[in-house]
Amino acid sequence: MSYIDGISMKESKSLDLYDIQGNVCKGYGRYGFPKARYCFLSFQHTHSAREFLALLIEKITTAETWPVSESSDHHRIKPNSTLNLGFTYSGLKKLGLPERSLKGFPVDFTMGMKARSEILGDTGISAPEHWDDIWQQDNVHAWVAINARDQDAIEFEFNALGDLVTQHPDGVRIMSGIKGPNNTILPYQDASAVFENGLPTAKEHFGFTDGIGNPYFEGCGNSMSRLPGRGKLMRDGSWQPLATGEFVLGHVDEAQEYPPAPEPKLLSRNGTYMVYRKLHENVDTFNGYIDNLAKDFDGSRDLLMAKMSGRWPDNGAPLTLAATDEEKETLDAKMASIELRVSEGDKSALIERKELRRQWVDFTFNDDKSGSRCPVGAHIRRTNTRGSLETEHKAFHRPGALVDRRRLMRRGLPYGGIDEAKSDSAEQGIIFMSIGASIERQFEFVQQQWVNYSNDFKLGNDKDPLIGSHDGKLTDKHIIQGCPIKGAKPPFFCTQMPRFVETRGGDYFFIPSISALRMIAEGLIDPS
Amino acid sequence: MANTSGNAYGLTALCPIINGHTNDSNPLYKAAGESHDKEVRRILQALPLNQESPFANTDNTYLARLFILNDVFFQQGNDFKRDQLKSKYLCFNSNFHGELEPYLTSLWNNNENQVREIWQHCVAFESVSNANDFVRYIKSCQLTTTLFFNGSNDQPVAEQLKALYVKQMFSEFVLTQQGKSAAELKQAFKYFLQRVQLNDVKSPSWKPGQTEVAL
Repeated sequence: MSYIDGISMKESKSLDLYDIQGNVCKGYGRYGFPKARYCFLSFQHTHSAREFLALLIEKITTAETWPVSESSDHHRIKPNSTLNLGFTYSGLKKLGLPERSLKGFPVDFTMGMKARSEILGDTGISAPEHWDDIWQQDNVHAWVAINARDQDAIEFEFNALGDLVTQHPDGVRIMSGIKGPNNTILPYQDASAVFENGLPTAKEHFGFTDGIGNPYFEGCGNSMSRLPGRGKLMRDGSWQPLATGEFVLGHVDEAQEYPPAPEPKLLSRNGTYMVYRKLHENVDTFNGYIDNLAKDFDGSRDLLMAKMSGRWPDNGAPLTLAATDEEKETLDAKMASIELRVSEGDKSALIERKELRRQWVDFTFNDDKSGSRCPVGAHIRRTNTRGSLETEHKAFHRPGALVDRRRLMRRGLPYGGIDEAKSDSAEQGIIFMSIGASIERQFEFVQQQWVNYSNDFKLGNDKDPLIGSHDGKLTDKHIIQGCPIKGAKPPFFCTQMPRFVETRGGDYFFIPSISALRMIAEGLIDPS
Repeated sequence: MANTSGNAYGLTALCPIINGHTNDSNPLYKAAGESHDKEVRRILQALPLNQESPFANTDNTYLARLFILNDVFFQQGNDFKRDQLKSKYLCFNSNFHGELEPYLTSLWNNNENQVREIWQHCVAFESVSNANDFVRYIKSCQLTTTLFFNGSNDQPVAEQLKALYVKQMFSEFVLTQQGKSAAELKQAFKYFLQRVQLNDVKSPSWKPGQTEVAL
């Protein structure tokens, strides 16, 4: 099984996609669902909560394969909206899981995100005491996500959920306490792709193109054409799917082991964990900082932004592909000419476009060890190090051995920016969700060691230029490495970086399989 | 050669702790008596940290560690002979620059009270009454090892601290001078050199054990 010269080979591993929740395998935004609403439930009486759950299960969207194409044949089998569900540790307790099963959950999950704030850099203005009201209580038991094609479908599904909740007044309620636009307090968190000219984009509110390069794992049901750049990097430069167990419990992971999981196996198999974070974006602070720094920077404002993220803001092209304003112009011209030929019906242009777009994801930093193209501390080079941590040739069995166990399956959408003008004080940001078999090994490690620290990159105490927990000190910096050859450009230092992104809430959730959900609802979980 | 790596010395000494109970220990415990190892542990756990540590006060310490070895533990099967220690041991590891004798002499001379307080619970320490005795005592407890602290080179501590100081100050200089003209840079660098005094190893610099500094 491999990917050779763009030819998709068949995957050997098949998963029971009807048993896995849909959000594990699909980023819904890519499937034409640019709108989302997240709400949080609190359970009261176990029996009634289970009855509610039994009915809700029928609405849950599984990971069954949909065609990406929107052609009429396929349209029928794709729903208008999706629904997914996860539980906090206290939620599982409230649903009456046996003590022995509860004890099998890892400490990160049982503690929850608030208790892990020091590890995550959720300090200062991002500390839990500043989070939305809903997180000030300890009774968030479940997360429900509705994704839809449009706002009407969101409202329809949310009302249906509300009806179901109303039928179980002793069992469950939808919690309020989420800060919404214009100082409202809402019982839900709306999220939406940023629209431009009436069309959804992959942009977030700072203007970056986001959500490129999610990992590809064995059996995920996605087309093998998406594998290059997303799987695990092999010694010969090819890519293989990451082991299923990195993202789904009950399957072998990259250590050739089953990830630790609670008993009985049916409770955990085909389930996984999800991190939910409401990340507020201080757009005034960000724009002001960039505008000010751009005056001294040898290059365009877009290049400066790209040197922070690792990708060009307008179209997400990686710096490995175009590292200067001139190279970007050439790339844009090339893309424009291909697009023109595509519009004229030139079939070969389609292939060229696909090949060029492939390079948005399929790249390494092998030819850029010094960071003169993509800075060593840039956001994408920290959060997905690819093969760059193998600093000595063949030090590991695979170039990406250190990152293959620390990949984040990112979900979520931007929020805000619709009902009020963007500003530091307005409500806008990203609902960040990350799925994986171990919150501690994957999300928390990346957050602590790669986002908020730089020992692995030999950059001392530097932090991620975009999401690092900076405080505006002189040494809160990002280094844009210079280029010793080709025009000998000196390095450029971004100093006194303020906190662009603040945490406003969130928690850790268990995303059970459909089988496990049924057993939880029926009170059949029995680890003995 | 064992115990040394370049100019770095790796000391490992195992000092047997007196078995049984003390008679004149902390009055709170006098009635019941207190074992010597518990006394030592209490003293070790109360030792001041960082700049106040006796090792910050002992020239050229890279990394030092005092701990109590209670016994040896085996994790293998049940069907073979198990060894047990005849006493508990105070383990003293230190990695430092230079020769053993002057190092131990400095430890004694600069921290005599603390050294006596810690080691008084060790077998035969009553025979130690001066720096020479202490050197002889530690040498008699010394093991030959090749255990070295990986986070240091073998240069004198003062030189390493000065190098770190200059590196940090230079980072600050770079961050604050970005974009300046050549003339301004030259002027600022002149001032920087005056400020950091490259040829004065002692000052300005970080102090041994110093963990935080206002830049």
